Amino acid sequence: MNILVVEDEPKAGNYLLNGLQELGYSVSLARDGVDGLHQALETPFDVIVLDVMMPKMDGWEVLRRLRKEADTPVLFLTARDDIADRIKGLELGADDYLIKPFSFAELVARLRTLTRRGPTREEDQLHIADLHIEVLKRRVTRAGTRITLTNKEFALLHLFATHQGQVLSRSLIASRVWDMNFDSDTNVVDVAVRRLRLKIDDPFQLKLIHSVRGIGYRFDTQP
Amino acid sequence: MTPRRHYSLTLRLALVFALLAFALLATLGVALYRELERELIRRDDAALISRVDQLRNLLNDSNTLELIRNKPELFQNMLGNRESVLSIAAPGQQPLLLVNPGNIDLPAVTPVPKGHVLDLTDVQHLAGVNGVPLAALAASIDSGDLGNLQVTSGRLMTERTAMLASYRLSVYILAGIAALALALAGYLLVHRGLLPLRRLAQHAQGIGVGNLAERLDSRGAPKELLPMIDAFNTMLERLAKGFAQLSQVSTDMAHELRTPINNLLGETQVALHQQRSVDSYQQLLASNVEELERLARMLDNMLFLARTDPASALRQRQALSAADEVERIAEYFEGLASDRGMRILAAGQGEIWAEPMLLRRALANLCANAIKYGAAHSELRIEAMPTDEGLILRVSNQGETIAAEHLPRLFERFYRVDESRERSAHSNGLGLSIVATIMQLHNGRYSVSSQNGVTRFELLFPGREAD
Repeated sequence: MNILVVEDEPKAGNYLLNGLQELGYSVSLARDGVDGLHQALETPFDVIVLDVMMPKMDGWEVLRRLRKEADTPVLFLTARDDIADRIKGLELGADDYLIKPFSFAELVARLRTLTRRGPTREEDQLHIADLHIEVLKRRVTRAGTRITLTNKEFALLHLFATHQGQVLSRSLIASRVWDMNFDSDTNVVDVAVRRLRLKIDDPFQLKLIHSVRGIGYRFDTQP
Repeated sequence: MTPRRHYSLTLRLALVFALLAFALLATLGVALYRELERELIRRDDAALISRVDQLRNLLNDSNTLELIRNKPELFQNMLGNRESVLSIAAPGQQPLLLVNPGNIDLPAVTPVPKGHVLDLTDVQHLAGVNGVPLAALAASIDSGDLGNLQVTSGRLMTERTAMLASYRLSVYILAGIAALALALAGYLLVHRGLLPLRRLAQHAQGIGVGNLAERLDSRGAPKELLPMIDAFNTMLERLAKGFAQLSQVSTDMAHELRTPINNLLGETQVALHQQRSVDSYQQLLASNVEELERLARMLDNMLFLARTDPASALRQRQALSAADEVERIAEYFEGLASDRGMRILAAGQGEIWAEPMLLRRALANLCANAIKYGAAHSELRIEAMPTDEGLILRVSNQGETIAAEHLPRLFERFYRVDESRERSAHSNGLGLSIVATIMQLHNGRYSVSSQNGVTRFELLFPGREAD
C-alpha cells in the first residue's frame, strides 16, 4: 500500500513515517501543503493522510485542489474537536478523519478500511490454527473441543479472527463489539479479552490472543 | 447610524419644572388680569354714565345753558383731568361747549334718546388714539330755547392701559422668576435625589474579580432603588458562584494533570539515567502510553464539558428502544461486574428520545461508578420506566451510603467523596459531571439518592412530545 503523509509537525511526521514503514507500507512524507499537493498529483497513492493545520497551504486547500484532479482516499487529521470542522472536511471530499490525539493503531485500522477495495465477502468458516469458527451457526471449536461463548465473547472473537495479525486498540474493540464510540474510563475491554482468553487460550498450548503493550491486542498464530 | 444621545434626567426634570411653573403662574396671572380689567372698565363706564346723566339733568334746565356760556371753567373743573373730553353741541354744528384739554379726537357717537335710562351697554368702546381705548357716551337733551342738543362725554383710558400693562409685566416677571426658582430647585432636588445612584455606581465600579464577595450597600438608598440593588446583588452572587466554580475547575484540572505528567517525567528521567534492557525500555514506553492515554481522556472529557452547543445534540436525537439500550449496557459491563461478583439486572420498556452516543456515555458512566463503588456480590439494577414526562433511567447499586452532604456536589467536576482513596488511571472525577452535561443537553433532569445502603441515580429524558 502506497501512503502519502502530509504533516508539518516534525515529530508527528517522523513517527507516522516510521510507524507506517515498519508495518510494511511504502510511505512518502511531505512537510508542507504545497509539497504535499505536488506529490499527490505526481504519484498515484492508495491513500493520503492529511494534516489540516499547516502553514503556506492548509489541508483544506490541498484537499480542494486535489479533488479537482483525483479521488484518492483522504483521511484528515485535526486538532479541533469541532463538528463544523469535521463537516467541512467531509464536504470537501475527505473520506475519514481523526482527532488529535489519536492512537496509532486506530489510524492504521482506518487506513486499512479506506483502502479496502469493494465489499469484503463475509466468510462463514474461519480457521486459525486449530481454532474453527462457524459464523452463522455461532459454533466455536478448538482442537475438536466445543467452546461455548456468550454473544459478546463471540463478537469479540469474530472481530479478532477477521483482523488476524493486526493490532486492535481498545477503543476500536469497544466500538465494534459494543457500539460504544467513546473512551469510557473503564477496563471493560481488558476484562472481556481476559474472559475470552480463559476459554479459548488458557487450556491450550498455542496462544492466539497477544497483548501489545500500551496499544491493545493482536490475534495471531505468531507470538 | 448615529447612536442616540443620552439625555440628562436632571436637566429634563428641571426644564419640566420651569415650564410647568411658568405656565401655571402665567395662567393664574392672566385670569386675575382679565378680572381686574373687566372691573376697571365697569367702574370707568359707570363713572362716565353718571357724568352724562348729571349733565343731562343739569342741562335740561335752561339756566344752565347760560352757565355754559358764562362759566365754562365750571365744566372744565367738573372733568378734572386731561384724559376726559366733553362736548355739547347741536347736531351738525360747532359745539357750544368743548372741554378737551388733551386734544382728543372725539369721533361721532350715536346719542341715546331722551327718555332712555342710561346703563352700561350704552357706553361705546372705541379704538381711540394709538391703540389706547376710548370710552364714549352721547345723550340727546332738549334744552328748550336751543332745541335739541347732544352731550358727548368720553374718556381716553391712558392711565388704565398703563396700569394694566405694568400689571401684565409684573405677572410675567413673577412667573419667570418662579420658573427659574423652581427649575433651580428641581435641578438641585433631582441631583441630590440621584446621589445614592451615583454612590452605587461608584461602588459597583470598585467591584472586580478580586472582591466579588462585596455587595452593594442598600443603607440610605431610597425605596425606589431597593429592587435594583437587590437584583444587582443577586447577580453578583451568581457571578461569584460561577467564578468560584470556574476557578475551582481550573485549579482541579491543573492538579489532575500534575499526577500523570509527574509520572511521565519521573519515570522517563529515571529510565534515561543508565543503560537498560530493551524490556525495561518497553515497559517504560508502555507505562508512558498509559499516562498519555489518561491525559488524552481527560482532555477529551474537558472539551466535552466545555461544549455549549445543545442545538446539535437536540437535532440528533432519535427514538431508541429502552430495552435494547439497557441490554447493551448490561452486556458491556457484564464482565467487569462479574469480576467483582456483582450481578447486573437490566429491565425496561418504552422509548428513549435521545442522541444515542450521549445516552450510552451517560449510562456507561453511571454503571462504571456503580460497579466501582457497589458492594462485592451485590446486585446492580439498570431500569427504564416510561412516565408522563418521558423516560426515567435508574441505576442503583448496593454499597456504602453516601453522606447527604456529598450528594448535591457529586455532579461537580473533579468532586470526590474521598480525596485520598479514589485516584486511579480510570477515574478522573469527571464522569458524573459529564452525565450532568449530557442531561442538560437533552433538557432532561438528573438526581441521586443514597439511603440504607442503596445508591440510586435517576435520569429523566423528556419525551418527544415535550418539544
